[in-house]
Amino acid sequence: MLEQMAAIREQPTVNEPIDRQTIAACQQGDREALRLLFEAYRDRVYSIAIYSLGGDQTAAADVTQQVFVKLMTRISQFRGNSEFTTWLHRLVVNCCLDERRKQRRFVPLAELGLIKASRGPISQATNYARRELAGHVQAAIAELRPKLRWPILLKYVEGLSYEEIAAVLGCSKGTVASRLNRGHKALAKKLGHLSGQFVIGE
Amino acid sequence: MFSSHTARQFSAYHHEELSPEESRRVAEHLIGCTRCRAEFEEIKLGVKLAKHLPLIAAPDSIWPKIETALRQHPAGASMPVRYLKPSLAFAAGFMLLFVAGAFWLRLHRSEARPSWEVARLNGAPRINSNRINDTGKLAVGQWLETDDTSRARIDIGNVGQVEIDPNTRVRLVATQPTEHRLELARGRMSARISAPPKLFFVNTPSAVAEDLGCAYTLEVDDAGNSLLRVTLGWVALQLKDRESLVPADAACATRPGVGPGTPYFEDASELFRAALAKLDFEPNDTQWSKIPALDIVLHQARLRDTMTLWYLLSRVDENDRGRVYTRMAELVPPPNGVTRDGALRLDQEMLKRWRDRIDSDSHSLPEAMRDFLGSIRSGIRRHLNQASAK
Repeated sequence: MLEQMAAIREQPTVNEPIDRQTIAACQQGDREALRLLFEAYRDRVYSIAIYSLGGDQTAAADVTQQVFVKLMTRISQFRGNSEFTTWLHRLVVNCCLDERRKQRRFVPLAELGLIKASRGPISQATNYARRELAGHVQAAIAELRPKLRWPILLKYVEGLSYEEIAAVLGCSKGTVASRLNRGHKALAKKLGHLSGQFVIGE
Repeated sequence: MFSSHTARQFSAYHHEELSPEESRRVAEHLIGCTRCRAEFEEIKLGVKLAKHLPLIAAPDSIWPKIETALRQHPAGASMPVRYLKPSLAFAAGFMLLFVAGAFWLRLHRSEARPSWEVARLNGAPRINSNRINDTGKLAVGQWLETDDTSRARIDIGNVGQVEIDPNTRVRLVATQPTEHRLELARGRMSARISAPPKLFFVNTPSAVAEDLGCAYTLEVDDAGNSLLRVTLGWVALQLKDRESLVPADAACATRPGVGPGTPYFEDASELFRAALAKLDFEPNDTQWSKIPALDIVLHQARLRDTMTLWYLLSRVDENDRGRVYTRMAELVPPPNGVTRDGALRLDQEMLKRWRDRIDSDSHSLPEAMRDFLGSIRSGIRRHLNQASAK
């Protein structure tokens, strides 16, 4: 099951160096270059948005759209002093926070019908078990306080290092470590009863 | 604290985000701490669960919307400037003042960050990897490190002085009116403390040294074992509920996971000290000597070593307690009101009274006289025992 999950997650990682030419082209207003960036990050941005907005697909789609529009309108301000990914993720976090403020209400988790298809064959039973477990994890993460939720999302959805997470969230590396620790413990406490199913699922 | 639980670092440890030294510390701690191992398992489960967050495919309908939005706000176009209403301008001005005030406070506070003066004695000591010139400041959280040719002295205001020997690594953990605390990770330091007792502490990997008004040296090896040698006053060594009070002229070893051993006077016989180390840290090593280590300690003990036997009374197996009591009573008879039964059931009040008597006898006379007196007492007691047996 882990291999299958890994297959789902097989995407260019955000830690890969971004092509400077693509960024430069975006700064010149090149739509094709923006399309390249969009294709590279769309699922990650959307996933972060959907997890941080309690599963609201419509709001997550709106946030994803806002992120790329803002990226294009503000990319001239990007001086290359910080990592492009850090800059982008700050944009994502800020857009999600703005959206959350606008909502001011909790939106129940949406159905998980949009999980990207894996590249290998998965039996129906395994697929079901995987979706069920993923659903539990998402629900548990949605219940975390934002300050514990954000480091988890940036670590596991975006694959950022502690230092990068600290740069995005504007806190120290030690704070990131501490919050991740508390987040992990909270997840284990909430979903500890699934550990048996978890082993079988693997 | 160096030897304290490391649970707060478990996620960083699991993600390999710690420095090699920090990782080693956590790994070593996990080997010996059942509680932390259980907690680490919890963290690992949390990590496994979090890894099951799937990526969710963004709907294809997003891109056309982005293109539409960009047509309305061409790329690179700056956002329209909005002029602030007077009330908003006032609020903005207030916020600006607030931020400036917060910045000033932060700056002021960082200037006043507690620190100790460090003076270079030899070579090139470093504070947080930066070489210091003739003097430097060691702030809370910072490491002072010496290589094999350098030495340094720390002045702790009116508390005292600490000299740092070569190849030593210490960290300032806290400095407050009620507590000054160093961490000695490895190497050797000598402290001369003039402040009232219980103000100056040193954390080591295997115990905490608490100053009771004294001068002492403390050294820690790479395995985390430490040795305390007191030259003046008293020092308490503690790990959880195990404590050893070490007087002047005495020493005490500590081991990770065990804590402080039994204090002993440094002029005790070599055989006495070796047997005591076996009793403290390797009680099951039967290969060391055909004679049990406790027998050697009891046989070699002089009047002055009753201090050591006093600790052993409560630390040896219950079956051996009677033999320790007998030898102690030969060297320093228990004061009135201290009975054999009470001592064997470890009555704290009785043990305390006996300890006072031991300290008084051990310190009131010159060494030669103390031993002479001890031998006379032993002789008289043996004679009386034999007489009563007849």
